[in-house]
Amino acid sequence: MEDRALAMQMRAVQAGDGQAYAALLRTITPRLRQIIRNQQQFLQPADIEDLVQEVLLSVHAVRATYDPERPFLPWLMAITQNRLADSARRYARRAAHEVQTETLPVTFSEDMANSQSGTYGDSEALRQAIQALPRGQRQAIEMLKLREMSLKEAAASSGLTIGALKISVHRAVIALRKALKKE
Amino acid sequence: METDKLIQRLADGSEPVRPLPRPWLRMATWLALAVAYIALVVYVVSPRDDLLAKLRDLRFCIEEIAALATGIAAAVAAFASTIPGSNRRLLLLPVLPLMVWLGSLGQGCIEAWIRLGPDGLSLQPDWYCVPAIVLVGAVPAIAMAVMLRRGAPLTPHKTVALGGLAAAGFGNFGLRLFHDQDASIMVLVWQVGTVLVLTALAAWTGPRILNWQAVLAGARGDVR
Repeated sequence: MEDRALAMQMRAVQAGDGQAYAALLRTITPRLRQIIRNQQQFLQPADIEDLVQEVLLSVHAVRATYDPERPFLPWLMAITQNRLADSARRYARRAAHEVQTETLPVTFSEDMANSQSGTYGDSEALRQAIQALPRGQRQAIEMLKLREMSLKEAAASSGLTIGALKISVHRAVIALRKALKKE
Repeated sequence: METDKLIQRLADGSEPVRPLPRPWLRMATWLALAVAYIALVVYVVSPRDDLLAKLRDLRFCIEEIAALATGIAAAVAAFASTIPGSNRRLLLLPVLPLMVWLGSLGQGCIEAWIRLGPDGLSLQPDWYCVPAIVLVGAVPAIAMAVMLRRGAPLTPHKTVALGGLAAAGFGNFGLRLFHDQDASIMVLVWQVGTVLVLTALAAWTGPRILNWQAVLAGARGDVR
């Protein structure tokens, strides 16, 4: 890849020449793919292609920063290395939050994730608590939670607005949680 | 999307772009705006009474020129840092004028201590410096942020810190034209201290001002 030829194409790109742009990007793409493959050998082919595309988009986004009187390749390589470093940092951050495991647990180990909803089993108390709710809230719970109607269907059937139904069901859930905790 | 299709879409939507001027030229544009704004602020707040006499004071002139040079050098370095492939050593450009600035103030502190003993280094609260530097540096800082966002976000922390140093350095330059506080220890702690704190704050906000996500959002719009 001769720098002078690429620099000339890049000057044409800055002048708005679409054909020169396509030619330039097609020339640099295999080179970018090779650099990424060499530097990030742990990546799958699809991830490598994603990175190639990200570098191409970055080149496009900052093409005004190319100085037509300077060589092209150092400019391109600076963008490529910066985007690769960025991707490596993102990968490291993701990896730090991932837990490698053979079999996925049914739920998370934290207590917070295993709340009362999973262990509560007194359906009679729940029925009574629903009966004790104000009429509007009870109606909302029955339609949206017990009969599993959509908000649209429940609104059509009750004549209430979707907003009013959402508020009622929210309040009802809070009231039920309080009532069942007391017992 | 396949890479070849992406290339075709980028090429099809290609529009002419004006190459960014060199960092020195961009700094000159920013400088013109910053100087005009500072002149306006000094005129509105009214310059200190002894300004003409101070312009004949060598130490005052050295410190003002060093503050100005630090701002100019930091601005050039900030603009250069957004150009891919530019010389990384340019980032160190403000170090020399900053050393001269700090050196002159340090020498002033030592002389005051020799002349007056511990009283020469006594510190009084001078909170006025903080909002005044922010006021004088505000418009240069906003202009700097807008101009930096036209470049590539290669080193957001360093770039925005340098931009912040440039604006705050100018802020301090302007402040001394209307605030008659010349005791070296006070200038060093309250004024240079404020400049350094603002620079650190700028470094911290760097990725919020300059980031690839924002830059690529526009590019992704071009290929849709």
